[in-house]
Amino acid sequence: MIQEILVGVTVLAAVGYLVKKFFFKKNSSNSCGSGSCGCG
Amino acid sequence: MGKQINVALVGNPNTGKTSVFNQLTGLTQKIGNYPGITVEKKEGVTKISRILTAHILDLPGTYSLNASSLDENIVIELLLNKNHKDYPDVVVVVSDIENLKRNLLLFTQIKDLGIPTILAINMADRMERKGIELDIPQMEEQLKTKIALVSARKKTGFDELKKHIKNYSLLPTTPCCNVSSIDKSYFDKLQQTYPEQERYKLWLLITHDANFGELDRKTIASRNGLPQKTKDEIKKLQHKEVVARYQFINGMLKACFKQDLNLAKGMRAQLDKVLTHPVWGYLVFFVILLLIFQAIYDWSTIPMDWIDEGFAYLGQWVKLNLPAGMFTNLLAEGVVPGIGGIVIFIPQIAMLFLFISILEETGYMSRVVFLMDKSMRKFGLSGKSVIPLVSGTACAIPAVMAARNIENWKERLITILVVPFTTCSARLPVYLIIISLVIPDEHLLGIISYQALALMAMYIIGFGAAIAAAWIANKSLRVGTRSSFVIEMPDYKLPIFKNVGLTVVDKTKAFVVGAGKIILSISIILWVLASFGPSDTFGNARKNVQAEMASTDPMPQGVDMEQRIASYKLKHSYMGIMGRGIEPAVTPLGYDWKIGIALISSFAAREVFVGTLATIYSVGSDNQITIKERLAGEKNTATGKPLFTLASGISLLLFYAFAMQCMSTLAIVKRETNSWKWPLLQLFLMTGFAYLTALIAYQLLNL
Repeated sequence: MIQEILVGVTVLAAVGYLVKKFFFKKNSSNSCGSGSCGCG
Repeated sequence: MGKQINVALVGNPNTGKTSVFNQLTGLTQKIGNYPGITVEKKEGVTKISRILTAHILDLPGTYSLNASSLDENIVIELLLNKNHKDYPDVVVVVSDIENLKRNLLLFTQIKDLGIPTILAINMADRMERKGIELDIPQMEEQLKTKIALVSARKKTGFDELKKHIKNYSLLPTTPCCNVSSIDKSYFDKLQQTYPEQERYKLWLLITHDANFGELDRKTIASRNGLPQKTKDEIKKLQHKEVVARYQFINGMLKACFKQDLNLAKGMRAQLDKVLTHPVWGYLVFFVILLLIFQAIYDWSTIPMDWIDEGFAYLGQWVKLNLPAGMFTNLLAEGVVPGIGGIVIFIPQIAMLFLFISILEETGYMSRVVFLMDKSMRKFGLSGKSVIPLVSGTACAIPAVMAARNIENWKERLITILVVPFTTCSARLPVYLIIISLVIPDEHLLGIISYQALALMAMYIIGFGAAIAAAWIANKSLRVGTRSSFVIEMPDYKLPIFKNVGLTVVDKTKAFVVGAGKIILSISIILWVLASFGPSDTFGNARKNVQAEMASTDPMPQGVDMEQRIASYKLKHSYMGIMGRGIEPAVTPLGYDWKIGIALISSFAAREVFVGTLATIYSVGSDNQITIKERLAGEKNTATGKPLFTLASGISLLLFYAFAMQCMSTLAIVKRETNSWKWPLLQLFLMTGFAYLTALIAYQLLNL
């Protein structure tokens, strides 16, 4: 049972991390020059 | 309690700014990225006196405050924004003794911002050898600053530099060069409109796209009473400003700088003659590339094998020593191999950056750029793109990271986007097994193996695709980038090994920390997809296989039985269901659902393809001959004909040549571009193109 819970937590953490990375971006200042220059 | 001040290190590229930074901060430095962008931020702390410490920020190299690149904008952003937490109490402009004239342009611009500014003249140990004499007191008077002659190599002059930093509040903040004379009435009007602001700061705000806090470029330019300037007029004024500054610098250097020109030239000129020669230059570069390639492709495999074996042992150990169960399986089959899949790249990354760093440190990289730039530029690439493109044949991950050396954002982006086309070593096992299946083991003219020719063709196709994709990207990408092309030829130097070591450590850490977490997360999810399935089939795998095998005589036992169960489980796992789900899409390419599963699982890493096929066909993955024999005898379930024919084999080779089948590369592209847009674009465009070419190849060859 503990093993199943640990798997669930690990998988949730992995999915959560990817979702956070994918969908929640840090706001970056848009003052680094013209055009799309890598400022996200 | 002690006081801490902010010190910004600013300077042109190749002035040894980072060496000065390393010397000041030692091991206290930490390296990250500027928020939201992929430019490295280096900072550290140094003790100036008993009660004063300095937080040192090593800003990206810039030629002037007329920004044309992402790196240069960072310098301007910081120096113009007093509310920035890192806004410097004092700026140290690092210059190189042999390029003082060019370096001082930046110094005079920063001085005009009203920030206390110190001039650190680096490489002072070369003065005597190069026949240079400086009148420091007169220079200090004309530049209205304090000057420290330092040598990062000999570790001299740093006490003097620290003394100047300590007394920063005594430094005059008046401009050393009055540039408002280029359009006096306009600058006067500007100052009248904003009497509380530095005149030169207002000018920089008008000439840049950036906005800073309450001061907005548009509101400054449109404020009542201020004459409006067109873009052309602003550009002309910028040129006038540079000319005015150089006039001042020339006058100052005429009085303070003396050089014996006979001593100035020497070995450098002789070396340049060879290294930038249209024939010898390429030959030397080719030999160096061969060495790098050998190091990444061959020498790195020794520690990589150790890592591979170490993690295999660890996985086994976990399985044997931890209580049996689902979590132990996840650790042994998902987490440990996942971490192993990250760590295994460390030798290649470290080796590549060891070479790149040495080439940069010695000054040779600038010669490479000079040599290659003209031909690479036709395809939207830079001379520096050669290193990533070549190292991409070992692994795309260090290659994408190596693109950081390219200053121009568009050229860097194009390089990052096309590098995964080059044939990386992970494709090799896939190519080897498919080529051995579909290309006859015969020889052209009795000498050249057709299989070797096919393998070489795959390398040429990969490189050709990268160059063609770069050309298309250059024509179609609308990435705003202003670039003034400057090739600087720094003097040849022996590398400072502390700098080389720090670069290798930084880059390796950046990969492990940045991309590693994404790779590990995806590994865990892939493990779940391959380890679970619907209970009626997956859950009853043993019972179902035994029932299927009941009529077989003799009934498989032991390892053979276990392999059949593993194969059945994979087929009925969620990943297997996905593989069967995509069968209608892969059938036109000549594949069946089993190859579909291998395609999905090899998204983790291409080489997984062979291992997955081994599991599906119930054979040990180490035994390639057995896999080959099994694959050769395999029939297409739809047509009943052999699965691996010339048509399906070529189709599969082309698919692997072009498809973006590598989550680690996607993760590192995300990290390097700071956006999911580019890796997703790569994933869909490359995989779409791979699908199309594989489809056309199969349909044409199958006629």
